[in-house]
Amino acid sequence: MASVIKAQNLTLAYDKGKNVIIKNATFSIEQGEFVFITGPSGSGKSTLLKSMYGQLKPYDGTLIVGGYDMRKIKRSQLLQLRRNIGIVFQDYKLINEWTVEKNVVLPLIITGYSLDVQKVQAEKLLAHVKLSEQAHKYPLELSGGEQQRVGVARALSKNPFLILADEPTGNLDEFSSGVVWDLLENACDQLNATVLVVTHKIPTIFNIPYRHFIIENGGVHEVH
Amino acid sequence: MKSIKDHIMFILPLLAVLIGIEFILIFGRVTKAYEEKLRSDYAIIVSSKKVLTTPYLRSIDSDIESVEAMNKQKIASEVVSNIGKENVDTILKELPHFYRIHLAKYVTVKKLKEIEKELKAIPGMVTVDTFGESYETKRSLFSVVTTLLNIFMTILFLVSILLIIKQMEVWQLAHKERMQIMEIFGAPLMLRSGVLFKMAFVDAIIAALLNLGIFLYVQSKLNNSLLFKYIHADASIFFHVKDFFIWLGVSFIIVIISVLFVAFRASEAIEE
Repeated sequence: MASVIKAQNLTLAYDKGKNVIIKNATFSIEQGEFVFITGPSGSGKSTLLKSMYGQLKPYDGTLIVGGYDMRKIKRSQLLQLRRNIGIVFQDYKLINEWTVEKNVVLPLIITGYSLDVQKVQAEKLLAHVKLSEQAHKYPLELSGGEQQRVGVARALSKNPFLILADEPTGNLDEFSSGVVWDLLENACDQLNATVLVVTHKIPTIFNIPYRHFIIENGGVHEVH
Repeated sequence: MKSIKDHIMFILPLLAVLIGIEFILIFGRVTKAYEEKLRSDYAIIVSSKKVLTTPYLRSIDSDIESVEAMNKQKIASEVVSNIGKENVDTILKELPHFYRIHLAKYVTVKKLKEIEKELKAIPGMVTVDTFGESYETKRSLFSVVTTLLNIFMTILFLVSILLIIKQMEVWQLAHKERMQIMEIFGAPLMLRSGVLFKMAFVDAIIAALLNLGIFLYVQSKLNNSLLFKYIHADASIFFHVKDFFIWLGVSFIIVIISVLFVAFRASEAIEE
């Protein structure tokens, strides 16, 4: 199996190395794996995720994501990589002046898919996240749970090889959390996407095999 | 309502810039026409014992355009009346040659003094009259008006630029989040700023059309104005078709610079 993410002695830091968050982490994640990353608040879970979509450059060591060395990646390559990653944020990051339907197909708009393809994909995904009725509404007209479901649908819209989710159920009720976990499970199980979820708590009922990493005191350790 | 306000907030400063540019173009044409009139109305009067020719005088100073001989007989009859033909012939024989010297351009007072000096140095030259005082007055007035208008244009331009910068800040607030989200999902710069480009280009065209309306209206109102007769021009000085394309060009440049500036500033900084 090919490694989708490979970290070798990875060090992540802010302020040009003054504030080290992750130190000498070594791990690899393969295609189609579901991975939970947990750890106390401020341990560096979100920082690790940021480095994977190029928001933070590794301070030292190596981090390869989708074949790109994240220390040496060029701006144009970074945009190319991001087009093939689905990202889910705790605060949703939806475009409030766009309809739900348009938000869902943002990755398709960016890649230049036709309107017909966009429409078909939006209908399919909104049905998956049980929001077909809300297609023409705007994000601020939806509840937090509904907005997050739109966020997950957007992350899945282009069948990404990698899905990064930062506390995707952090602000959600039980029903919305259930829908989000189901969607992420399906993406991994049926679409063979690698899913990496940063969370405080792993759900008690989870239907597919997963790996679990804990971040503690700057180290990344796998729990077996 | 908010959208209309957003458009107006960009159209107005853009319109001010375009009005400023048209003023500069008009003023350029008016000053050129007025300068040409001043130049064509002006001549240095000289009297010389020797015959003067244009090539000779041009070899002395290239700012001299031509020399025109004045009718001695007419001068003599204007000076002395009721005299016999024999006396007139005698006077004419004694009189030097009179010339009007025309200049190639509306020279500065300093240059005029130089020319005067050069002419006086010509052997056989009797008198050189540059009407320096009157020339100096007109020239100074011309310079003052030019300077005042340039100051006015500069202020108008600066105020407009400040308004555009202000609008760029408003854009920044309104579009930053969308641009950043699009960037996270890999949108290239042109796609991220597409909405803003579309809006700003429409505003640029509207501003240019409004400007066209304003100056065509002014042109129709000022037709046959005495001002134009005085400067030997007509109302067409207020608008040339090429001006419209200049406005469009300038507006598009402003749009491209403003939108790209906003897009770059909205671009997420990669932390290192």
